[in-house]
Amino acid sequence: MSTSIHELIQWGRRGFSRRRFLHTVSAAGVAAGTLGFRDLMSLQAADLRKRHKAVIMLWMNGGPSQMETFDPKPNHENGGETSVISTAVPGIRIAEPWSQIASVLDRCAVIRSFTNKEGNHRRATYQLHTGYVPSGSVKHPSLGSNVAQQIGDENLDIPTVVSIGRPDGSGAGFLGVEYDPFFINNPGQRPDNTQMAVGGDRYQRRLNLFESLQQDFAQRGADQVVENHNAIYGKAADLVRSPRLSAFELDDEPASLREKYGESQFGRGCLLARRLVEQGVSYVEVVSNGWDTHFDNFDRIGELAGQVDPATAALILDLEDRGMLDDTLVVWMGEFGRTPRVNGRGGRDHFPRVFNGLMAGGGVRGGQVIGASTADGNDILDRPVSVPDLFHSICHAIGVDPEFENMSPLGRPMKIVEGGSVVNELFS
Amino acid sequence: MSRNFQVSLLSLASLTLSFGTFCSPAQAAKPTDPLAVAANVDRILNENLAEEGVAPADLTADEDFLRRVSIDLTGRIPTPAEMTRFGLDPDPRKREKKIEELLSSPDFAHNWSAYWRDVIFMRATEQRAQPLQGVFQMWIREKFENNAPWDEIVTEMLTSTGDVRDNGATGLFLAHAGDATELASETSRLFLGIQIQCANCHDHPTDTWTRQQFHELAAYFPRVRVQQRPQAMPPTFEVSSFDVNRSGGREILNNPERLFRGLDQNRDGKLSEQEAKRAQRFAAVFQRILGVGDTDQDGMLSLEEFKNLPMPPQGRRQTTEYFMPNLEDPAAPGTRLDPVFFVDGDAAPREMRDIERRTELAQKVTDPNNEWFAKSYVNRIWTELLGVGFYPLVDDMGPLRDVRHEEALETLAEGFVASGYDIRWVFRTILNSEAYQRTLDTPSGLQTNDSCELACATPVRLRAEQILSSLMMLSGQTETDRDIPVGRGPGSRRNSPQAQFVALFGFDPSTPQDEVSGDIPQSLFMMNSPLISQLVSSRGNGPLARLLRQYDSDEDALRELYVLVLSREPSEYELNKCKEYIYDVQNRNEAFEDVMWCLVNSSEFITRR
Repeated sequence: MSTSIHELIQWGRRGFSRRRFLHTVSAAGVAAGTLGFRDLMSLQAADLRKRHKAVIMLWMNGGPSQMETFDPKPNHENGGETSVISTAVPGIRIAEPWSQIASVLDRCAVIRSFTNKEGNHRRATYQLHTGYVPSGSVKHPSLGSNVAQQIGDENLDIPTVVSIGRPDGSGAGFLGVEYDPFFINNPGQRPDNTQMAVGGDRYQRRLNLFESLQQDFAQRGADQVVENHNAIYGKAADLVRSPRLSAFELDDEPASLREKYGESQFGRGCLLARRLVEQGVSYVEVVSNGWDTHFDNFDRIGELAGQVDPATAALILDLEDRGMLDDTLVVWMGEFGRTPRVNGRGGRDHFPRVFNGLMAGGGVRGGQVIGASTADGNDILDRPVSVPDLFHSICHAIGVDPEFENMSPLGRPMKIVEGGSVVNELFS
Repeated sequence: MSRNFQVSLLSLASLTLSFGTFCSPAQAAKPTDPLAVAANVDRILNENLAEEGVAPADLTADEDFLRRVSIDLTGRIPTPAEMTRFGLDPDPRKREKKIEELLSSPDFAHNWSAYWRDVIFMRATEQRAQPLQGVFQMWIREKFENNAPWDEIVTEMLTSTGDVRDNGATGLFLAHAGDATELASETSRLFLGIQIQCANCHDHPTDTWTRQQFHELAAYFPRVRVQQRPQAMPPTFEVSSFDVNRSGGREILNNPERLFRGLDQNRDGKLSEQEAKRAQRFAAVFQRILGVGDTDQDGMLSLEEFKNLPMPPQGRRQTTEYFMPNLEDPAAPGTRLDPVFFVDGDAAPREMRDIERRTELAQKVTDPNNEWFAKSYVNRIWTELLGVGFYPLVDDMGPLRDVRHEEALETLAEGFVASGYDIRWVFRTILNSEAYQRTLDTPSGLQTNDSCELACATPVRLRAEQILSSLMMLSGQTETDRDIPVGRGPGSRRNSPQAQFVALFGFDPSTPQDEVSGDIPQSLFMMNSPLISQLVSSRGNGPLARLLRQYDSDEDALRELYVLVLSREPSEYELNKCKEYIYDVQNRNEAFEDVMWCLVNSSEFITRR
């Protein structure tokens, strides 16, 4: 059975419809009762499309300091000038600038034991987005693109994966342009150039002519180029005509709620993320820039927290109020942590060996801390969590089979995640 | 290094000796005749293809050749008048002549200066460098205009100092804020085509390089400093050497009284901000020092407070030597390394000054005995011109990588060295080859285009400025806009429509073709932006309005429109589709606007065919 699936997936590289595949399986396999584990996962994915699971990734670009976020070290010189505050959960204390997250910490799991080896921004960002270290020969798909392929609603007329900002490795890689995120820069504004240049009927007429005039070039030897071009134009044309386009604007949100998210780029991004998930988008990434704090680490993180803290807390509460939190996983993280020792410029440098993050929703049990670092912050003390472990856990939360295999351009099946296992404590 | 390569160097050397003159390698006629080398490369490729049972595709028609070579050299599609003149020229050597003509156009230098600007700044790790990329572009454009050889250009880049607004050669240092490890990896990637930085944290997983070799390369750069110049408006940076003896920088701190006296201009026993401003280095840190050391909070530093300041830790920035970080103990100072060039394993003398180190490195990199310097340039330009390289990636070559048609690459690299690293020689040779001039059609014996490799042409996506210049040509502006904007500060460069377009359509030119694809925002721009609506308007005095006035016959107008936008005549099928459409719409102007909109939005318009 699994052999034949591989063949089908390989076929899929050339535009095979996955929906049709699921249909075939359900007609033949379910009736005969001969389905393997992977088939059942696929069928479950069809189910999940209906239930609409989603991920909102809050990406702290540059590598957030664990000591100034959720793993402060107030009793060690490495802790610097950062003080701690108590949270909604007795016994869990986090760094001082994060008071709003502290008040919703009972909904969040703090992971203090992420560990990795990659200390270069681009490479680490790529790895934390794709699950793989960069390799010259294969452009790996991002987690967002994988999620879109696995559980994205194929009938949605807006893109199923959206990225506010453009970190390395966030593209669809070898999955193809169909699963590329829709990149936007200004959350809250209607995306540029989405006003139809001519009336609706004429627009449709134009598009029909456009399609028929593309054929000759395709036949002259540019078929792949034309196919990609048409796929993107199809999505762009859908978007322009979609009634859901207004989801990109925030005007109809009450002022009080907008205030909670904060009038910042990141705050608007978080509010937009909620609106898009509400409309059926499966994966939204919101980027916060400025975390590469080699200088003035403490002041700069204070400023960043002024935007990120209220926005993150407001997002979690808003999702909860709308009954969306159980099906929406919110992840807060960056590409690595920062050196426990403060450098000569009041900054901290790159440190992949120990870093931290936050998860909420999507079945994650809140109010707990996973893992621990040593008193000086130089090592993991307990329960290391690797990048593949993290990816397994995200996949688990939204019901995606992390071992699902796509055919890579090297002609070899490649899993969404290689190695690692679910951090079970998160969900128990 | 290949045997062939050595043999030719030897024979060159003996030639020089036997004549007993200072005859430069460029004058040794044989390996540098572009047409002969092109023919040699074609022979090698055709033999290899024949072995695989593949017959190469035919040579392109004149119209496709002209469009291709215009985009590659001048950065825009040809005008209908250029098409006509070229089509009517009976000279059998007109392609060769055209290549010469376009190589001497100022647009050649402009087009390739934009390419190199993107190659370097698309990978910048210092975001504050972005507004200043224009300075680098102007510098390298002038180099290309004067036909400076590639080794000279690279040497100037690696050895540059000064204000980054005055000296564009500092671009690479600016783009990475002088960081030694970033400079090592980019120097290797850009000028040698080797990704040695994978050995940053561990020995290279798929190559022979070790972690130590990477850090020994970084040891050429520890004394480079890129610092923002305090109070300079518009903001700018200075690339300088940090050559004080290891003790020198800190010795001054060992005698705080003397330093204090020097700074305390009015001798009141306190350092004010006013006084601090007189000393550039001190002014930049005064506020921070005040925050730490001003115990009585009077906004000034007394001698006592000054003496009690905590000593700055000996971070990497304060040292004049390079230390490889200790992965097990990141807080430790690491292992001191001296510069060693990984390609030949030669160590540089110890304790060299910054400029000596960088000059030494530049010599090592550009040495004709270093095969990767010539090969990486030739392979990069070949890949850009043909869409497919000898290596799968332009910046990941090296001895263990798969290489196809290696003999052809070596033939080109050999000629490039013999030409004295003449960049126009590389273009002249490649463009005159049959390999460059093939059609897109899949040759017999093959099934799909993506595996035809060099037996047929590969469709290549135009770079942002090539699309923009082509759109400008359509609107009647045949003179390329060669103005290069330089921003005053962060973000300022983003404001011009030109910069916005480049930001929207730009991509890292080192990306392999099959990974370059458009995205939704680009499509939306082409579909709906006012610029495109205006361009395809049949009203006023736009290109379409003029064309419709000039040609009463729809068929004539359609043919002209295709020549204008796609630089070719429409096929019968296309002509019929369009005529049908015009008939259905029953409004000539509206129908033609729609046709032109379709052509401008077509995949073909933004692709080199």
